[in-house]
Amino acid sequence: MSKLKKENKILDKLNDVFDISGEVKRKLRIAVKIDSKNVSSILLFLKNQHGFIHLNHISCVDWIEEGEFELVYIVWNPKTKLTVLVHTRIDRNNPVMENIDTIWDQANTYEREFREMFGIEFPGLVGRKEFILEDWDDMPPMRKDFDTQKYAKENFATRPGREDAQDVREAIQKRSGEVIPDFAKKYSRD
Amino acid sequence: MSEIKTLGIPTPEEIKQAQIDFAPRCTSAGRVNDKETQGTVEYILNFARKHSLFVMAYGTGCGAIEIPATMTSRYDAERFGIRGAATPRQADVLLITGYLATKTLKRVIRVYEQMQDPKYVIAFGSCAINGGMYFDSYNTIKALDRYIPVDVYIAGCMPRPESVINGFVKLQELIKNGNAGNGEAYREDLDWYRKNQQKVIKNWDFPDKYNW
Repeated sequence: MSKLKKENKILDKLNDVFDISGEVKRKLRIAVKIDSKNVSSILLFLKNQHGFIHLNHISCVDWIEEGEFELVYIVWNPKTKLTVLVHTRIDRNNPVMENIDTIWDQANTYEREFREMFGIEFPGLVGRKEFILEDWDDMPPMRKDFDTQKYAKENFATRPGREDAQDVREAIQKRSGEVIPDFAKKYSRD
Repeated sequence: MSEIKTLGIPTPEEIKQAQIDFAPRCTSAGRVNDKETQGTVEYILNFARKHSLFVMAYGTGCGAIEIPATMTSRYDAERFGIRGAATPRQADVLLITGYLATKTLKRVIRVYEQMQDPKYVIAFGSCAINGGMYFDSYNTIKALDRYIPVDVYIAGCMPRPESVINGFVKLQELIKNGNAGNGEAYREDLDWYRKNQQKVIKNWDFPDKYNW
């Protein structure tokens, strides 16, 4: 463990202050899980006390089976080259998350995107409601229960394929004699 | 002094004769009203058009990356008379280079309608033909010719500069035979195109007509 001395030192310091469950993923990379209410305090703590002055990225994952959105804040320390991933989960049915664009200005862009693509509300977020999509009047499209193929079929004219077009799976099956497993049949041509 | 001809008000017969004499010899799309000179004038006009294709400098998708390669010294598209134009009013050819998002479609329609006749459209890559890898995407259109008329399709994902030039040569052939340029057809079927366009562009804020 002596190799991961830097990483464990930061993790211990976070453990002293916050109620987190964290681990050292690998060299230079620490992942912590924290309650959504404490996200801004842990980010400020990392930024002000430990030199994690750069926000790399914020990403959002839709855990539809668990009814939750997971937000991952990735911060980086340019001196020690350490990266900390702050994972947090929020309720999917009432997705409200604290706005952190006072800590990093660039968070505003990510948050506006989440508002549009996932429908997560950030109280106090400045900026137009419309970000990338234009005239969108359906469900936020990055949610997993949004059926993108159905939407495309309803809204866009499609060109009929060639008459002699073959279903790829069936053609390969005929040629090779393999049996198509059941789970793969739903991907076949309509 | 009585021999000096005075410029009086022309008689109806004179007006009629003048209308015939000074009638515009050719319409915008290279078609000639006067049957006798039709063949010759159209041939000359199409010859000139064929060798000076000004391409609108507007890239809509990943295919725009092939345009610099086509234009620069290795493939040198200018030997066919193909070169860039800065604004829609100066351009002859509109290239739809790759996938077309609904947001971009709005701009493309504006660009297309502002272009002067004769105008040609080349659709690039499989995305413009049938959606390509974006066949199930919620924000790209699948069949371009429902929204604007298309002269030439270039298949490929992406087409190499050779195929791009091949597409341009095909367009030149069509122009030479007088089969290219769908500006007039677009104006005639405007209702059908508008219906399709408005199905995709929900917040419609276009002017009704440009000064075609």
